[in-house]
Amino acid sequence: MYVKKTWQRVIEYALTFLVIITLNFSLPRLMPGDPFLHLSGEAGEIVEVYTEEQRRYFMEYYGLDRPMWEQYWNYLGDLARGDLGLSYYYKEPVSALIVRRLPWTLLLVSCATLLSVIFGILLGSFSAWRRDGWQDRALYLFMVVFGEIPAFLIGLVLLVFLAAGLELFPLAGSMSHFVQYASFWEKIKDILHHAALPVLTLTLARTGGIYLLVRNTLGTVLTRDYMCTARAKGLKELRIRYRHALRNALLPLVTRIALQMGALIGGAVLAENVFAYPGLGRLMRDAVFVRDYPLLQGIFLTLAVGVMGANLCADLLYRRLDPRVRTVDVKENNTRKEHA
Amino acid sequence: MIKPGSINIKRNTFYQNILGLWRNLSIFGRVSLVILFGLVFMAIFAPFLTGHSHNISSGPPLSPPGAKHLLGTDELGVDLWSMICFGARVSLIVGLFTALLAGLGGGTIGIIAAYRGGWVDRVLMRVVDIMVVLPDLPVMIVLAAFFGPSLRNIIIVLALFSWSIPARLVRAQALALKEQPYIKMAAHYGGSTVYLLTRHFLPELFPLLVVSMIRLAGMAIITEASLSFLGLGDPTSRSWGLIINHAVNFRGIYFTPFWKWWLLYPWIFLTLLVSSLALLGRDLERIADPRINKG
Repeated sequence: MYVKKTWQRVIEYALTFLVIITLNFSLPRLMPGDPFLHLSGEAGEIVEVYTEEQRRYFMEYYGLDRPMWEQYWNYLGDLARGDLGLSYYYKEPVSALIVRRLPWTLLLVSCATLLSVIFGILLGSFSAWRRDGWQDRALYLFMVVFGEIPAFLIGLVLLVFLAAGLELFPLAGSMSHFVQYASFWEKIKDILHHAALPVLTLTLARTGGIYLLVRNTLGTVLTRDYMCTARAKGLKELRIRYRHALRNALLPLVTRIALQMGALIGGAVLAENVFAYPGLGRLMRDAVFVRDYPLLQGIFLTLAVGVMGANLCADLLYRRLDPRVRTVDVKENNTRKEHA
Repeated sequence: MIKPGSINIKRNTFYQNILGLWRNLSIFGRVSLVILFGLVFMAIFAPFLTGHSHNISSGPPLSPPGAKHLLGTDELGVDLWSMICFGARVSLIVGLFTALLAGLGGGTIGIIAAYRGGWVDRVLMRVVDIMVVLPDLPVMIVLAAFFGPSLRNIIIVLALFSWSIPARLVRAQALALKEQPYIKMAAHYGGSTVYLLTRHFLPELFPLLVVSMIRLAGMAIITEASLSFLGLGDPTSRSWGLIINHAVNFRGIYFTPFWKWWLLYPWIFLTLLVSSLALLGRDLERIADPRINKG
């Protein structure tokens, strides 16, 4: 049962992957007009109009006159080889561009995930142990409001006050330009200094959700009979709290983090644009403005695959961690918690 | 909220229901509701509340808030208060229509999945699973780039990508209802599908759906504002996100005093709208779903 279920999940993810690829494949083909009309419209002052003959030539050259399934097959082949096409604007392979920008986004996302999980657990358990006290109520209200404010609004506040007002942090970019670093540590320090505000933005925007989950699940765990048993055994309060309560409350967190990944990526796209941070989100917006469709699609594919990968990992990890769910549908279990 | 299975003979009037709802709300829920009504009022009566045009210059550019321009002007001399009043329309239209489309569509799909069961249910739930994994904002950016960012397109795409949330909720609740003895009994007495759905399922599912729609509206408003902030929203609709976008793209805005009105006021209104929707949503969720109180 266990193995079969896992394979079912993997197949589901493969299906999702196929849907994303198909979406990516069909979007430019569903777009009103065709690429050559577009090329001719974007030429600036002198509007070039392709003759019917030229158009047919280009259609043949790019393979757009082939049957749809053949185009689709070729597209899959290109993807398998890691070929995402050529960027119109940067005149470079899309994959090379993405590989160059990806580390910055990864840095933001991983730091923000780590920090929001840490703060979420700390504050969530703080609240759960003081359930319905004034500290819990105040924190709860603060977190609910903060959890709903979109990342870019938080980022703007940080930018205005911490970067422009107090000049504590740089306004834009990921590293200082034209600087010779005295040592490797200097460089690290500079990078972290630039990443601080975007990471803080994402962390503030994401901590709310994790806080609420920890507060809720811990609240439920605290009412369970085994907590009573632990107390009856005369265990120390700290041991009860951390070994018995918190540990059991943390399981749903694994899936929650993965489910949040989509929102986190969205937040990262926004935060990168607020702070002009050179990650994939920034590149994505630039790609839209210069109408660089291959680049746009490449980035979308990367982000979608990233989110999916995180979900798959969480699914597999959850099965490892919790022996009870080997037969239960993990996703369903989790969403119910999410809404609770 | 009526518990599933309990017998409810006396039907409350609409007025009593509203009053009861107000009593059940927490203080934050009440404040949020008042703020929301204020914003709706602003949006509906925008032309009467403003003395200046919301898209034509009516004074010196970048003038600070004062008697003539309540909240100051932007770089073209357009009155900010007018822009904010008319911008409220954009946000509320996006929120309302997305919530209606996605809520009713997703609710219907959820009921169908639960009621029919079998392969219909399996297929629909797989689609929902796929929707959950897709990252919203990147999808929206790509679709806006390909299909043009008109307000109508944004609403349609938002609805297409958010129906899965109410669908899943409604399905779960409908599945639980299906097992209730009184519904089984009604079915055994020969109640038709239409009768069962309208008399038993819909009244129980409706509060849940409304709560879910409030959350959907909040999410839609945030996404529209985010897209506009990135400069990918409808360029003809002066939404709050677009005002922020213009302000941020003004060179050196952070080192001038201009942000104190140009950036600050749309920020405040957007935050107010989003957080009051969230707080009201949470409050109603608590009222509509008795399970949470126990948790």
